[in-house]
Amino acid sequence: MLKQMLEKDWDRVADGMVPNAKEELDQSPYSTQLGMSMADDARKVVAGNMDIQSFHKKYHSSLLGEFGDLFTQEPPKKDGSSTKGVKWGMVIDLQKCVGCDSCTVACKSENRTPPGISYNVVLEEEVGEFPNVAKVNLPMPCMHCDNPPCVQVCPVKATFKLENGIVTIDNDRCIGCRYCIIACPYGARSYDFGESYEDEMLSFNDVTSPEYGIERGERGTRKTPIGTVRKCNFCLHRLERGEEPACVETCIGDARFFGDLNDPNSTVSKLANSPRAFRLKSDLGAGPNVIYLK
Amino acid sequence: MEAYAKQELQKGQKSSAAFKWWIGSLVVLLAVGGYFIIERLVFGLETTNLSSITPWGAWIAFYIFFVGLSAGSFLLSSLIYVFGMYQYERIGKMALFTAVVCMIVALTFVLMDLGRPERFMNAMVFWNVISILAWEIHFYVVYITLLVVELYIAMREDLVRLRPANNIRGKIARMLTFKNSTITEETKKRDHRWMKILGIFGIPLAILGVHGGTGALFAVVGARSAWNTGLFPIIFVVSAMVSGTALLLAIYIIKTKVTKAQIDRKMVISLGKMMIAFLFIDLLLQFYEYLVGVYGLEPHHLHNMAIQMGGPYSWSFWGVQMFLGAVVPIFIVFYKKTSENINAILIAAILVVIGIIGVRFNIVVPSQIVPVFEGMPAGDYFPTLNEWMVSVGIGAMGLLIFTIGDRLLPLEEKPESLEGEGS
Repeated sequence: MLKQMLEKDWDRVADGMVPNAKEELDQSPYSTQLGMSMADDARKVVAGNMDIQSFHKKYHSSLLGEFGDLFTQEPPKKDGSSTKGVKWGMVIDLQKCVGCDSCTVACKSENRTPPGISYNVVLEEEVGEFPNVAKVNLPMPCMHCDNPPCVQVCPVKATFKLENGIVTIDNDRCIGCRYCIIACPYGARSYDFGESYEDEMLSFNDVTSPEYGIERGERGTRKTPIGTVRKCNFCLHRLERGEEPACVETCIGDARFFGDLNDPNSTVSKLANSPRAFRLKSDLGAGPNVIYLK
Repeated sequence: MEAYAKQELQKGQKSSAAFKWWIGSLVVLLAVGGYFIIERLVFGLETTNLSSITPWGAWIAFYIFFVGLSAGSFLLSSLIYVFGMYQYERIGKMALFTAVVCMIVALTFVLMDLGRPERFMNAMVFWNVISILAWEIHFYVVYITLLVVELYIAMREDLVRLRPANNIRGKIARMLTFKNSTITEETKKRDHRWMKILGIFGIPLAILGVHGGTGALFAVVGARSAWNTGLFPIIFVVSAMVSGTALLLAIYIIKTKVTKAQIDRKMVISLGKMMIAFLFIDLLLQFYEYLVGVYGLEPHHLHNMAIQMGGPYSWSFWGVQMFLGAVVPIFIVFYKKTSENINAILIAAILVVIGIIGVRFNIVVPSQIVPVFEGMPAGDYFPTLNEWMVSVGIGAMGLLIFTIGDRLLPLEEKPESLEGEGS
C-alpha cells in the first residue's frame, strides 16, 4: 500500500538532498541569523501572510547595517513608484577622446542650433613644454549641476532642474536678461541673437528641433527661442523615445557614456566612482553631473 | 502769498533763448536716440556687440551707474530729512527728484537690455525668491514708490502756496493738492514727521535693497571671482554716495548759474568736501579689494586685474576712473587756489561723475573678457554705434524729464520755507 507522503517525510527527503542552510550561510561573511529569518519571512510574503512593505520595513535598517553602501534598494512605495528616480549623467573618457569634434557636429545637427550657439564644445589645449607635450581635448556639454548657479540667479524661474536631473529652460518665459550666462561657471549657455544658416543652407529655418518636447515649427524672425537663452538639455527629446543623446551615440572613440547615476549598477555610476574620475571646477560646489575620466 | 504767485507767473513766461536751445537739443538727441531704440527693438540684440561670451555691456554699466546716482542722491536727501543736516536743505527736493529720474533712466536701460523686453512683467509675476535680480526688481518698485511719496510730501507746502498762481505751475499744483489743503503749524509738523519716517525706511531700502543689492547681483556670482567678494556691495554703496553727491553739486551750481540766482558758497564748498570724503572711502575700499585679490593668487581674479589695469581697457581704469575721476577732483578741492572757486568745484563734480561711469564700465566689462572657463575664447567688447546712441537717447530722455519736472514742480527751496526750519 502506497504510503501517503506527509510534510515531515518531505522534510526528511529535503534534509538529505538540500544543503543545510545554517552551514551554508555560516560560510558567508554576513550574518547567518539575518539570512535565516529573512528567508522565513520571504516565504510568508510569497504565501501572502505578510505584505512586502512590512517586510522591507522590518529588514531595511539591519540590511543597511550589514551591507552598508552595497545595499541601495529602497522599500517600494504604496503606489509602486520608487523614491529615487533616474538622474541622468554623463561620463567622458578623456583617454578615448580623439578631438574629432563629431559630438559638436552631431549636437548641432540634432538640435539645429543657429550660428554662434553650440550646446557642446570641445576645448583643445596643448599642455607641457617640449618634449613633454600632451594635447588635451576637453568635450564640454552642459554639466547639469546638482546646485545649478544658473537656476539660482534666474529672476523668473525660467530655468529649472527637472526631477531627472536635467537643467531646462522655459523659452516662453525667459526674458533674455542673460544673468544665467554670467553665472554659469562652465560657459554652457548661449543667447539666441536670431542668426540663421539660411543663407548658406537652404531651408535651415523650416524645421527646428523639438527641444524639451516642444515642436516650434519654423524658425521665424523674433520668434521664440530667439531673444532668449539656450543650452544643452541632454537631448531630452531623444531620451523620451529611449535614445541616447546625439553626442553619445555619435562618438567615434566611444568616449562618452550616458546613464542613470542613481542606479549603482549602471556603467556611468561605476565609472563615476572610479579612481580616474574627476569633475570640472568641483571646488565651486555646483556639483556637475558630467564626469571626466583622466 | 499773492506776491509769490505773481513772481511765479513772471517766471513761467520767461523762457530764455538758452532754455529753448537746451530743450530743443534734448528733443533732437531723444529723436536720434529714438531711431536707434526702434532699430534695436526691431532687429534685437544683434545691433549690439554683445555675445554669449560678453553677455552684458554698456547698457548694464549705465544701469548700475544710474541706480547708483539714484541711491546716492536719495541718501544725500536723507542726510537732510533724517539726520537734520538742514544746511543742505536747498538741494533736498532736487535730490529726491533726481533720484526718481535716475531710477526711470536706469530701468529704461534694463528694458533696452532685455532680449525679450515685451516680457518684462514676467519679472513681477514669477518671483524666484532665491534670485537676487528678482529681489532687486521688487525693491526698485517699492523704492520708486517711496521716493515719489517722499518727494510729494516735501513739495506739499510749496504746492499749496502755488495753488492761486494762474499758470501751468499753478494748474499742476491744483491738480496735485486737495482744495482744502492748508499750511499750519500742525501740517508742518506732520509733514516733517512723515519725511523722517519715510527717510528712515528709505535708508535701509536704498543701501541694502537698491544699491547694495545691485552690487550683490555681481557679488554672488561665484563663476566670476573678481566680483565674488563680500566687499563688493559695500563699494557699490559708497561709490553711489560719491556719484550722487557729485551729481547734485553739479546740478545745483549749473542751475544757479543759469537762473543767475544767489549761490550758497558755503554749502557748495562743504558739499565738495563731502564728495571727496566719500571718494576717499571708496578708494580705500577698492585698494583693499585689489590687495586681497593680488594676495589671493586666484588666476581668474589676477587675469581680471591684469585686463582692467593693463589690457585694452586700461585707459578707462587709469585715465577715467583714477586720473579724471579721482586725482584731478581731489587736487581741485584741496589746492588753495581752486578750493574756493565755484567753477573749479563744478569741474571737479562733473569729473567725479564721469569717473564713476568709468568705474561702472570697469566693473562690468573686464570680468567678461577673461574666459569664464580656461581654454574658452576671451571676450572682445566695445559698444556699437547703436549702443552708444540708444544710451544718448535714454540720457536725453532723463534730462528732458528732469528739466520739465524742474520747470513744473516747486523743487527749489524758497527763502520763506527755509526760514521756518531755522538752519
